[in-house]
Amino acid sequence: MTDMYPALLRLTGYGSKWSVEQGDSIDFFVNCDGPASYRAELVKLIHGDTHPSGPGVKEEVIDSPLNGTYPGQPQTIHAGSYAVVLDRRPLRVDSFTMQCWIWPTMPTKVDGYWSPGEQMIMGKWADGRGYGLFLDLDGRVCLRINGQTLTAAEPVRDRAWHFIAATFDAETGCAVLYHEPQIRYALDPKPEPVEAVFTERAAHTAVPFTFAAHPSHTEPDGTSLQPHGWVMTDHYNGKIDAARLCSRALTRLEIETMKLGSAAGMDERRGVGPSAELGAAMVAAWDFNLEIPTRTIVDSGPYRLDGELVGLPARGMTGHNWSGTQVSWSADHREYGAIHFHDDDVDDARWTVDFTVTVPADLPSAVYAVKLTTNEGDEDYIPFMVRTPLGAPQSKIAVIMSTTDYMAYANEHQASNFGSLEALVYRTPIMAPQNIFLSVHREYGYSLYDTHSDGSGVHMSSRLRPVLNFRPKCDSVITQAPWQFNADLHLIDWLIQLGYDFDVITDEDISYDGLERIEGYNVLLTGSHPEHKDGRYLDAIHAYKDRGGRFMYMGGDGFYWRHTFHSGYGRGEITEMRRCESGIRPWQAQPGEYYHQSDGKLGGMWRFLGRDMAAVSGTSMVAQGFDVSTYFKRTPESDDPRVAWAFDGIEYGERLGDFGLVGGGAAGAELDNVDTTLGSPPHTLLVATSAGLHTDAYLTVTELILTNAPGHTGTQHPRIRADMAFHETPNGGGVWSFSSISYCGSLSHNNYDNNISTLTANVLNRFAQDGPLPAPDASGIRTRGRFESTPALNYHLPEEVGSG
Amino acid sequence: MIPIPQDDATRQQMLDEIQASVEDFRGVPGFSVLRTERPGSAIGAHAGIQDDVRLDRVLTRMRMQPTGAFGGKLIIVCTKLEQEWRIARLSGIRGVPPKFIDTRVFADEQSAQAEIFAMRLEQYPAEDGMPEHCTPAWKARGENWA
Repeated sequence: MTDMYPALLRLTGYGSKWSVEQGDSIDFFVNCDGPASYRAELVKLIHGDTHPSGPGVKEEVIDSPLNGTYPGQPQTIHAGSYAVVLDRRPLRVDSFTMQCWIWPTMPTKVDGYWSPGEQMIMGKWADGRGYGLFLDLDGRVCLRINGQTLTAAEPVRDRAWHFIAATFDAETGCAVLYHEPQIRYALDPKPEPVEAVFTERAAHTAVPFTFAAHPSHTEPDGTSLQPHGWVMTDHYNGKIDAARLCSRALTRLEIETMKLGSAAGMDERRGVGPSAELGAAMVAAWDFNLEIPTRTIVDSGPYRLDGELVGLPARGMTGHNWSGTQVSWSADHREYGAIHFHDDDVDDARWTVDFTVTVPADLPSAVYAVKLTTNEGDEDYIPFMVRTPLGAPQSKIAVIMSTTDYMAYANEHQASNFGSLEALVYRTPIMAPQNIFLSVHREYGYSLYDTHSDGSGVHMSSRLRPVLNFRPKCDSVITQAPWQFNADLHLIDWLIQLGYDFDVITDEDISYDGLERIEGYNVLLTGSHPEHKDGRYLDAIHAYKDRGGRFMYMGGDGFYWRHTFHSGYGRGEITEMRRCESGIRPWQAQPGEYYHQSDGKLGGMWRFLGRDMAAVSGTSMVAQGFDVSTYFKRTPESDDPRVAWAFDGIEYGERLGDFGLVGGGAAGAELDNVDTTLGSPPHTLLVATSAGLHTDAYLTVTELILTNAPGHTGTQHPRIRADMAFHETPNGGGVWSFSSISYCGSLSHNNYDNNISTLTANVLNRFAQDGPLPAPDASGIRTRGRFESTPALNYHLPEEVGSG
Repeated sequence: MIPIPQDDATRQQMLDEIQASVEDFRGVPGFSVLRTERPGSAIGAHAGIQDDVRLDRVLTRMRMQPTGAFGGKLIIVCTKLEQEWRIARLSGIRGVPPKFIDTRVFADEQSAQAEIFAMRLEQYPAEDGMPEHCTPAWKARGENWA
């Protein structure tokens, strides 16, 4: 009893799209592991917070041809990235030399590790037939020909480059294995090659030549949806660089020369190899530093044995020859020849389609889900958003569901992986069944808040897999309350409850469709935590605001991290984000690896790319804490005629939001403040604040702490606060910033009759009106300096006066 | 380094403080070792770790432990939505789930906070992180402490 779990999550699934246009279709993929059948029905999602102090779960069943019972089938995710070069005659070598550099990150595995076994580096091997280079269970490099094995004397060192090579002479049976660490410490043994005589030549099969995994069997599985039917095993964790294959046993000197690869251009005749003799022996010389933004690996050798990457390994990775002179692969790709493979990479679950739904053209834009249930009590939801055709809004109001953020947090593992989460949240975290399931089922992949099994940061996330926290009825370990998608349903519910007509769009739609997706709306509302965004999204929002659009920033910590979508996949399917030298980071990219593989540009915080958060949302992330929330109080600027309309029906002295479903207050979790040195326009009005009311769980964000010194907690620093703010934008537009993640959790309090609901409705009603907002009084038109409110600083930024 | 208190009086005082916080936060979607203006509200945070600096530091030391240290870090698992919670122990190994430590089932989401603190008073050594505790593991950054 003490170590048993109930059968958790036997029903999981995903859809091919998170945003679908009216009239288009979505495929649904379901894993039903146990029950013989399941029921599916289309529901409109309204409210997903189960906390007893709130209105509870609200959903409406929608009549749909999809509603019905379906046969259940278990479906498995084959995690782990690899490269595959389909079988070609030149790869069926008798004598050979294989060589490459490796930077292994998990040479051995602890007992109980979810993916035990050897690790394939490169070769053409499966089921005891073929040839290949491996790491064995003791972390030693070995050459395998069929079942014959030649093993290096010493194990590899983790996170260190090693040159490895193996030669085999089919005539003599002589095999030699070289294992040469790039760095040799004083007490390291001298690396020596090992030799053996094998009696068998490699048996050739139809299996592909692969990197970082090998097929489980010598024949493809015709029923599998894995690429080309090859199901892989023995995944490798670590980097591979400068892989070469030759068709004879080279001498050590020739191997050294072959490190150069095809080296075309060394003479006017453009020989394929580094020398005429070696050129004649070359089968392939893969240069992983080419076509980095794609799913292709390029062979620079004579046969064009290009390959395909599966599972989204990390590219744009520093190679064995990285000097640090350039820190971007796009500036000089030659030192970025490494691909970093992980056994827990996932690009696409590749499940069999259970059913396809065509969304009726007249189904209103809203948040929906396919609800899955069984007679045995299993339940899951697969949410999706229905949008209108491009350029054809059906309401004056649109809510932006933060799909990029939902991907960033997809299947986060912080409670089971990250011990100090407990210090961060200031209480013992509460894990949900989904968290327990994911702690075992590592093949479901990670969020951008996690590290891979080998400790390297996860910088890409796919939505083509079940995402168990993109669900209603789901609390986060971070807040003990809904987070992201389920928290955004607080807003959806309030809009429906108050009778507003609104469309639903997603980050992905704005990023791909640009301004046309949003320009027809009078007002846009964000979700509770729009933190992760790509540049095209920001461009569109900026243009929208400049043309008179109104923007309600309903959350906290918005517009923080730079994202790109991977062009090798479909619309919005894969997003990339690198954590560099600033920002609140659960991991940090390695030196030289700050540039996105998707587009070759610098990643990290938008602030340090010259796009301040407050320039988008009016306020800027300043602090976070996750124990409990608090309330706002009005400031004198709330009586300014430019904003006084927002407080109709609210007394000056009221505590705004001293209640709520996220931490028990409207100001909490992550907080933004007005800062005219960080993008808040100088004419911003700071109308309410939670200054001085937060606990010591709230700390200043790391990027604002220049020198680590005490004094950065909620009871000690007046800048730890959420500021509610307003500013006008050109042509009758405006921005209202609520500046707190927990804000939307307060909307439903007291049957939606409360001062947060009143304030929000006042702002929305004003912003949703047709035509430009009323012009401010002419007396308010004047030039304002960024430091106008802080003349004592004498135009010095905090960074410049060294205040820390 | 702050020691874990060993005397019964201090331990009981700390437990009482946490239990009082549990009572204040019943029904609140959030928790902290703090008192509030009234039970069922998160507003008006005071007392608790804001006044008892020793309790704050002991709690932080416990909370910063790595997942697998000293037999595994205790955590709460919700086993029945909004109805049942149990205490489990993290494995520290990817692929090995947390294991329930006993058969107790809590009927609200805050109660286990105090229970876990009581268990940790026994789980963690009084002294840790001092020169005499140095091991080879100190030579590479581990997870948080250790």
